[in-house]
Amino acid sequence: MTRSAKRFSQGWRRGVGAAVGLSLLLAMPWDAASFPIDGDQTVLPAGSELNEDAVYVPHEILRSEYRGDRISYMVALGDLAFNSPSILGDVARRAGMSCGTCHVGGANNAKLFIPGLSSHPGTFDTTGALFNPKADNHVLDPVRIPSLRGARVLAPYGHDGRIASLRDFVRNVIVGEFAGPEPSPALLDAVTAYVQEIDFLPNPRLGARGRLNDTATEAERRGELLFAKPFPHDPTLSCAGCHRPAGAFVDHLQHDIGSGGLYKTPTLLNANFNAPYFHDGRYESYDQVVDHFDRVYALGLSEQDRGDLVTYLRAIGDARQPYDSDGVVFRFKDIETFSLLLTQAIAAHDRAAIDLAVDTLGGELRDLAEQFPDHRDAAVTGALVERRMARAAAKDVVISLRRIAMATTADDFDAAAAEYKTFYALIFTKAMPLMRGTEPWSLFNPAVRTARDVQRRGLLRLPEPAQVQR
Amino acid sequence: MKRGGVTTARSWKRSLASGAAMALAMAPQLRAAPLEAAAESYRHYLIDDLGQALAGARLLRERLAAHDAAGARSAWVAARVGWERSEVFTSGFVPELDQRIDAWPDASHGFHGIEASLFGVSRTDTGAETDALIADLAELNAQLAHVDLAPQRLLNGIARLAFELGGNKADGGESRLSGTSLKDMQSNADGIALAYRVIFADAVAAADPKLAAGAQSAIERLQADVKIADLRNLEADRLRTDSEELVALLQMAAPRIALDRPTLEEGSR
Repeated sequence: MTRSAKRFSQGWRRGVGAAVGLSLLLAMPWDAASFPIDGDQTVLPAGSELNEDAVYVPHEILRSEYRGDRISYMVALGDLAFNSPSILGDVARRAGMSCGTCHVGGANNAKLFIPGLSSHPGTFDTTGALFNPKADNHVLDPVRIPSLRGARVLAPYGHDGRIASLRDFVRNVIVGEFAGPEPSPALLDAVTAYVQEIDFLPNPRLGARGRLNDTATEAERRGELLFAKPFPHDPTLSCAGCHRPAGAFVDHLQHDIGSGGLYKTPTLLNANFNAPYFHDGRYESYDQVVDHFDRVYALGLSEQDRGDLVTYLRAIGDARQPYDSDGVVFRFKDIETFSLLLTQAIAAHDRAAIDLAVDTLGGELRDLAEQFPDHRDAAVTGALVERRMARAAAKDVVISLRRIAMATTADDFDAAAAEYKTFYALIFTKAMPLMRGTEPWSLFNPAVRTARDVQRRGLLRLPEPAQVQR
Repeated sequence: MKRGGVTTARSWKRSLASGAAMALAMAPQLRAAPLEAAAESYRHYLIDDLGQALAGARLLRERLAAHDAAGARSAWVAARVGWERSEVFTSGFVPELDQRIDAWPDASHGFHGIEASLFGVSRTDTGAETDALIADLAELNAQLAHVDLAPQRLLNGIARLAFELGGNKADGGESRLSGTSLKDMQSNADGIALAYRVIFADAVAAADPKLAAGAQSAIERLQADVKIADLRNLEADRLRTDSEELVALLQMAAPRIALDRPTLEEGSR
């Protein structure tokens, strides 16, 4: 959820950041390197892209939803912490980055790019100096940001599979990669429990034991056969030997497939949405992946074979509803979960959980308010009074949350519980309907956002985006 | 100003209508006088600060005419200080002028439109925009002598600006092209401290010393949070917490000094 914490500013960055370098270097009579559009005063290097302005965001399904259960307190707390920059170190916190920045909705972030730490969009050097100088190995060796869907059945962890337990791996990300403070055992349990809940998205093309069901086309069937066929020069090998269809398309082992070392077998489930591919994100498409194996293992694939394999990979890597559109309804899904957690935390006098909930919900509501621009934003017209009412309601919720935190600090849990009722009424009976009603005039409306981008480019005399795409 | 007068009358009527008991309805009348006198004494600070913004804009115009980009940039920066310190007042009392003068983020006019040209593409051809800015600031200055400084709206302005200040991140901020976002924030915090001290501090202290101490301390923390050398060192979490605590305390203080709970968005109630 906290993908949103810096949404607006990242939007600005996205709109102009990438473009400015190119267009202004040519025109500027003064020191171009000092141009402060996003590099001079920020924590992240100039040209960083967190893709927090995306209109479509990965759909998330938790196992409890399949069961029709409510999310447990522990899982909700883990979800909250996962989306809270406060559990990470200084640089991440200042940059507003949480686990959820890279693993949006528990998936990946194919567009994330941080100069100096990324080689391709969607990759990140976990042993770079920026977030934890002590972890710096002085080599640019980014790995692709993995999707966490189904992580509970995908041990061992890390691209090289060096860590057997998910809990240990989570701790390593927080403390080792992002220099966060040592998490309490309860917090670590919660984050681990949450990650274990992130499920694969259902794939309507798959039947039992990872086999294609009766929706399969002829080409897909041929691909499925090829996938299981022994390699010509080493019949002990096949694609399916490592990517076992009945076992989430993994074998839990590391292999050297000619990509520069031993790396664990990645799952192919929902992999259509997991690009880029290979541990270092070197390939953008299945075609390139198939070419790699064809080349390294001298498979002698015909043009049709390659096509069939790619078609098969697309079928098994598919998902029903892979994305949600960002908007008020989408945002309120998490808000409901975290509000429920907050009332439980107040009842349990769980200060750490109350603080996390207040921080995360408050940050989200602040961000929601900014989706409804005020009178100073000349790019948005219409429904100004309604936009202001939506903003005011969101801000009132933020202050109500702060009162809960203040009561908690003062050890007055009864006052916190009483304020929670105010908070609940404000957010669900006032703020949400106002936001829903005003959504067409908000930045959730792509047309409004486009109008703003056009104005911004004109203002900075930037070229059209088509000319500056990476 | 007509607009201010109308709204004040309206909020007066509303507080009469919504008062649960006659005693509550009487309270504003009894208490209003000292607060209004205090608000009156805030006027000359506004006149000074916005006068400085106007003088800065005029210098900016002169430097642009001389094609002196560096001089124009420093004049722009200087003009911002008084403006940002007055934000307690400007965004609520004169929203149309505020929109013209300080439109953000995508305006081609006002301070940020000129900023984009001057700092973003280093051009000194924004004479027309600067003339308009001067005209708007002059109009604003002319209004200052007689605008109705209703305490309720000033409290709203303080609360709103305190809230807004808490939303700042170490990410470049409002004036990222000029690199003066941190200065904006410092001026905002100083403007909050000034308006609160001049207009409300005594009344709150008389009504509830503990609340007054809490609000004073929150304001000082807010000022300290932005008193840093580099925006990258901003502790955004702490700033946010301090800003929200201040707003919560101001909301608690309002009924104690016979005012309505401050709105966080002008014209939303």
